[in-house]
Amino acid sequence: MRERRRNKLMVEPPSSATGDIAFNLIVFFLVCASVQPDSGRQQTLPRSEQESEEQSENIEVQLGRNTVMLNGNVLRQEDFDAALKRALTGKTRDEDRVVVVKSKADTPYHHWVTVTEMIESAGGIITIQTEEEQQVVVPGG
Amino acid sequence: MAMGDIAFNLLIFFVILARAQDDSHLQWQPAAAEEINAQGTAKVSVLIDNDNKYYVNGQQVGASQIAGEVDALLGDAPAGERIVLFKVHREAQALYFEPAIEAISEVGGDLVHVLEKSQD
Repeated sequence: MRERRRNKLMVEPPSSATGDIAFNLIVFFLVCASVQPDSGRQQTLPRSEQESEEQSENIEVQLGRNTVMLNGNVLRQEDFDAALKRALTGKTRDEDRVVVVKSKADTPYHHWVTVTEMIESAGGIITIQTEEEQQVVVPGG
Repeated sequence: MAMGDIAFNLLIFFVILARAQDDSHLQWQPAAAEEINAQGTAKVSVLIDNDNKYYVNGQQVGASQIAGEVDALLGDAPAGERIVLFKVHREAQALYFEPAIEAISEVGGDLVHVLEKSQD
């Protein structure tokens, strides 16, 4: 009677190779983790010294915690896009397309990003204006 | 077997050394935007974490130090190679992120906001 030869499918690797296997696994995960690129949005802001002395009347956007104002008018975020596009209509020169963004101290970054994205997609050139520090002298203090 | 252990320990050593330079261990959540593009590698990253602390390439700095640190890291890099990745926690307030934007802009860094794609 002929004995059937059994195939040995489960072959245990030699214990001396475990170090090498661990090493290769670590290198693999390390490479996977390090090649994850960052994604985002590039933004060009005019440097303060490049701003010309002579400026046309700029569009002004004021941001609050969850509010947005265009040239002093409070708008809903969904209406802001259309209103800004109307304000930029017919403005072809770069200096006319400058939109000054003023933010209150408590404006959250996600709100700022949403609004500045709208400005850029409408063709505006963003420049930020921070609140000036003021020294208040209290009389008799 | 000992060779494997030595290689393993060396690797761990270099991984820890590299982690001190990057900012992947810091706690922050990116803001969402509709249009984002994949950005290349950058020499400099400025991060504001969920405690409103500033980090330049993973090292904690003060607000007044950002411009100097970024300028030193960018050196004389030509335009186009002056990318500064700006990673800000989504709830950080203008009081904290605007001075950092100003500092990066002041030293001629090309500002790239690191964001995630919005779900809707």
